[in-house]
Amino acid sequence: MTQQVPAIEVKNLTVSYGPVPALLDVSLSIEPGQLVGIIGPNGSGKSTFIKSLLGFVKPDFGDVLLFGEDAEKAKGRVAYVPQRGSVDWDFPITVGEVALMGRYGKQPWWRELSSEDHDIAEHALEQVRMADYRHRQIGQLSGGQQQRVFMARAIAQGGDILLLDEPFAGVDAATEKAILDVLESTRETGRTLVVVHHDLATASEYFDALVLLKQRLFAHGTPEQVMHPELLSEVYEGTLRIFASLQNEAAAGGDG
Amino acid sequence: MYDWLVETHYASPHLFKALITGLLVSTVCSVIGCFIVLRRTSFLADALAHSMLAGVVVGYLIMKVLFGKEAHAPAMLIGSILSGMLTVALIGFVSRSSRVKEDAVIGIMYTGIFAFGGVLASLFSHYVHIDLLHFMVGQLLGVSDQDLWMMAIVSVTVISFIILAFRSLQLVTFDRVMAASLGMNVVLLDYMLTTCTAMVVVTGVQVVGVIQVVGLLIAPAATAYLFCDRLRNMLWVSALFGWTGFLLGYYFSETYNVAPGAMIVVVLTAQFLVVFLVSPRYGLLADFQRRLKAVPQQLVEDILGVILRANKERCGMDDLVKHTPYKADRIRKAVQSMVRQEWLCFEKDVISLTDDGRQHARRLRRAHRLWETYLQHLGVAEDELHSRADLLEHLHDEDAVDYLDDKLGHPLTDPHGAEIPEDFVHLVPGEVMRLAILREGHTGEVVRVNSGLVDQVAVGDRVTVGVREDNSQTWVINIAQADGQATEHRLNHEEADAISIRLD
Repeated sequence: MTQQVPAIEVKNLTVSYGPVPALLDVSLSIEPGQLVGIIGPNGSGKSTFIKSLLGFVKPDFGDVLLFGEDAEKAKGRVAYVPQRGSVDWDFPITVGEVALMGRYGKQPWWRELSSEDHDIAEHALEQVRMADYRHRQIGQLSGGQQQRVFMARAIAQGGDILLLDEPFAGVDAATEKAILDVLESTRETGRTLVVVHHDLATASEYFDALVLLKQRLFAHGTPEQVMHPELLSEVYEGTLRIFASLQNEAAAGGDG
Repeated sequence: MYDWLVETHYASPHLFKALITGLLVSTVCSVIGCFIVLRRTSFLADALAHSMLAGVVVGYLIMKVLFGKEAHAPAMLIGSILSGMLTVALIGFVSRSSRVKEDAVIGIMYTGIFAFGGVLASLFSHYVHIDLLHFMVGQLLGVSDQDLWMMAIVSVTVISFIILAFRSLQLVTFDRVMAASLGMNVVLLDYMLTTCTAMVVVTGVQVVGVIQVVGLLIAPAATAYLFCDRLRNMLWVSALFGWTGFLLGYYFSETYNVAPGAMIVVVLTAQFLVVFLVSPRYGLLADFQRRLKAVPQQLVEDILGVILRANKERCGMDDLVKHTPYKADRIRKAVQSMVRQEWLCFEKDVISLTDDGRQHARRLRRAHRLWETYLQHLGVAEDELHSRADLLEHLHDEDAVDYLDDKLGHPLTDPHGAEIPEDFVHLVPGEVMRLAILREGHTGEVVRVNSGLVDQVAVGDRVTVGVREDNSQTWVINIAQADGQATEHRLNHEEADAISIRLD
């Protein structure tokens, strides 16, 4: 096997907001074509990690390399799906326009988008089954539909790396499955997906690899390696109830 | 009004200039105002307007002392833009590097710089001849040619910038993180928007004065915001409201002989309030009407449930009152609304279901029984099953229920032994569906088989579904052979899912 350039390589990444460190000396690398989940308790720096991959947050220290290049040069190869809570749902913008935003990086700012750009955005909407809603204002959609629209935007952007911030938060079971289908079909096209995830119960089921963060990097590996009760209870101190149910599930997992 | 608009202004170049000024300024203010409204920076715009005073005075002084020129307009313009930018920079710096929050910092900085301007103006009152009153309330009728040229240049610059950089401005306003990830210079765009705002504020101050300029910026944009679902439309609708506000305000001020600046802002605000009241989608009346008409989903579904359980699917109003936890008048209103929707028939005090109503009620029953089965799987106590499922049955979104059905292995009966209605939404004769959702007695033709999983069945076979076995986990099918005989096959859930059937 030839040596592959990792899709994402992070070296000694340290980020702080004022005196509070958000990430401390995180180093890891992610191979292309993987679906990776980032888990960790609230305020553990998961979103900060994604934002530093995007170049939106400047690290105090450390490097982010995307496909072996400086993150600055690889801009535009990374597509981003924001957390639901960080979007202004009253913004005067329609579903079609959000999808079209995925193409904004493809033309210089003074030039109109081409008809090809419009086709690509339209196709992305079809892929997430939202094409019928293209004239709706985004506030008039259900939670799952809103999530799918932003997935379409990321698909239209055609980045090699997709970063998703809590895509499964607050959506119903059917939507969760629909989003997962989109994630998996996107991975099959060879893209790398990094997903911030809050639900430990489904984490090992959904992802090829997991990253456990709480300021520092606690674990990175296959779900079996990371979902270790001892490791988890160290990171999620005080929320042991979760593990009791997890262990129950693991015990019952044999027949299901 | 036509006479006034055309003939008066044609006759007086002085008034004509005021008209042109007002139209120009209200356009550019309304357009940039959209971004101020969406970025929630109206307080910052107010600060920019006030801090101008210091810049105007300093610009005046420099030209007077160094070049001996009186009231040099370009110097005052540049001075006011610079003092605006300085204020914004100070606000940004202090709020980033101290624990004082941004609104407090804005409050300190702009009053401070405004007051500093006031101090300078009275300290050098011998040199500086600025009419502070006009600065406060505007001087639409006293606009000089120089001012008008300046306004024209500012308007053209700002509006071309917004048109050219529309996509970047839209994205940076809507989603900064994505804008940054595309390599846009977010901070530069912020500063360019602020510079534009500063320039526009300077022109607006000429018309309505420092105190009221925020109204000229925000009111038309906020009015348009109540109408529009696209930023592009919001920009020109806002400009339209800016024009009507200016023209009406200016006309009233001439008719009743009051200060134009004040009148314009009064009209703009009145316009906003009217639209806020009557806007078709985001207005108060529309909202009120919606709430009046709305019948809670839960009530509708409870009523359907009661009728479905009733003898011969008929019941009276008092049965509904007895079996649902709602007051009689609410139930009566809900029934009327459901009759209008043609879900119910209400004749001679007997309420019955229409076909649509029955369809909806069955869908509900299916959701309820699937939820009960699911809850039992989770180990919920027997006596809680019904009440918990009652709460959950309102989650009967098509996809969610089908997902549940699939996860549970398409059960036939619920924990109480009652039959779970078949998937009647998908079981439409002539349509193609997975074999797993078929029930006993269904017949059809195989149109697709995943042969990796199933080898007993081929495309084109005629299939009759038999009674399920093994606690309804094994599907039994009969395939008709050429000789008239039938062969029987047993399939598990996965295999049944691998076969697609066109239902007869």
